[in-house]
Amino acid sequence: MLLDAIRPDADGADRAREAVPARPDSETARSQAAPRRGPARGVAVTVRDLRKAFDGHTVIDGLDLHIPAGQFTAVVGRSGCGKSTLLRLILGLETPTGGRIQLEEPAGVARRNVPPKRIMFQEPRLLPWARVVDNVAVGLTGLGSRRERRERALAALAEVGLADKAGQWPATLSGGQRQRVALARALVSGPGLLALDEPLGALDALTRIGMQGLIERIWQQQGFTALLVTHDVAEAVALADRILVVDEGRIALDVRVDVPRPRRRGDPDLAALEGRILENLLGESPAA
Amino acid sequence: MASTLLDDLGRRAAPWLLPVLALAGWQAAVSAGLVSNRFMPAPFDVARAGLAAASTGELWTNLGVSALRAIAGFAIGGGIGFALGLANGLSRLSERLTDTSVQMVRNVPHLSLIPLVILWFGIGEEAKLFLVALGVFFPIYANTLHGIRSVDPGLVEMGRVYGMSRAELFRRVVLPGALPSIFVGLRYGLGIMWLTLIVAETISASSGLGYMAMQAREFMLVDVVVLAILIYALLGKLADALTRRLERATLAWNPAYRTA
Repeated sequence: MLLDAIRPDADGADRAREAVPARPDSETARSQAAPRRGPARGVAVTVRDLRKAFDGHTVIDGLDLHIPAGQFTAVVGRSGCGKSTLLRLILGLETPTGGRIQLEEPAGVARRNVPPKRIMFQEPRLLPWARVVDNVAVGLTGLGSRRERRERALAALAEVGLADKAGQWPATLSGGQRQRVALARALVSGPGLLALDEPLGALDALTRIGMQGLIERIWQQQGFTALLVTHDVAEAVALADRILVVDEGRIALDVRVDVPRPRRRGDPDLAALEGRILENLLGESPAA
Repeated sequence: MASTLLDDLGRRAAPWLLPVLALAGWQAAVSAGLVSNRFMPAPFDVARAGLAAASTGELWTNLGVSALRAIAGFAIGGGIGFALGLANGLSRLSERLTDTSVQMVRNVPHLSLIPLVILWFGIGEEAKLFLVALGVFFPIYANTLHGIRSVDPGLVEMGRVYGMSRAELFRRVVLPGALPSIFVGLRYGLGIMWLTLIVAETISASSGLGYMAMQAREFMLVDVVVLAILIYALLGKLADALTRRLERATLAWNPAYRTA
């Protein structure tokens, strides 16, 4: 059953390319995604023939991709394969050298209510001179009154379990707590797309597992589109609906993870899938 | 309860232990005849000279004149240095236009301009203001520029992603990030401010603390000379204490500046 989900290399890439023009496909993909209670406010992402070069060195080389609204997609690959660049391009932090990126807002939403796109970086990037609650309120820059911002920031802090740290300086928090504050800041505005750029890479193993559970729970509640870049295949397998392996600026493998949630750590299906992806990454097995 | 009060008292008194011991030793050395009164008056003689100068009002006038020069010169030089530091930190064009010139002028010891300044301004107020402003300008400029340059680019990018306008980015990210470095410049500037002012007043002035000390030298009033020097020490300490308080108030987030 699970092995059906793993598509051979070339086939997967083709599928991703085909998915771009075929709009109705996103409907079926959404219905296939894990059941979700929260409001469907996710943003669909369509990328066509994307190219990016730094000083003549090609990082993204004609990449096609469609991510349906609300999907949790993980991007894995060796370091330097272009996965972080892909994420930064989708977020608009880099300008593409060529190609097109289209973010498709959920239908029937007034233009000024369009959910924002947010990113969580590898480092928390909190303002050291702002109290924890004010750091979360940075996520509401330009939205609502000062009091509203504070109230929503406090609610978001409670969501990540740090309500009692609201008045503290970031310097007094542990690494995991800081990353939770950064998560609250990313989520406080109710984003339609949350990009996660190896946000758990610097945390210890136990804290990381706790954070993964937190991210999964909030994603299930809020229904945003999540795009996780990680070098930890186990993390990708535990969290994502779909895993993309990026190699030399293209999608080398596109895998659906059809394991129901909540997923159990050490599940043999997940372990098998992780093994397959690792093999592909290491290039030990003939991929196609 | 009582012990914490004592602890607190001890903590407050500790920094003054050395100065008080030095004064006591000094008094003892002079009283015992180890040091001639003509070269080094005893602390009590200096205090007497201070009281005398204070009662005629001469001390206060000179102190006031010096303080005013110091503050005005600092405000002018520091203000320009801060503004140019900001401009060059935020704009590549501004830096390209001015930084080389500033670096060239910086390498001229500003006190070497005293003869020129006397030729230009005589011994008027402009001369002192000019020298103090020039001296204070460089440390404030250089440290403001460095502070802005060293703001974590990751934080700036974060601010942009979260939709901060340029003004907001400056107020909430760049300026607070540059503040510790700006304070370093402020402290250097304050030191240079006193140094420049005293030298300028000693060489060319008709009022002020430096002038008071020079005049006392002509009349061999060693106690007044020492008095002037002690006042410099106290003023320096005062300026430092004010900066510290300002640092504590604005940099409370930084573990390095937190009290206790």
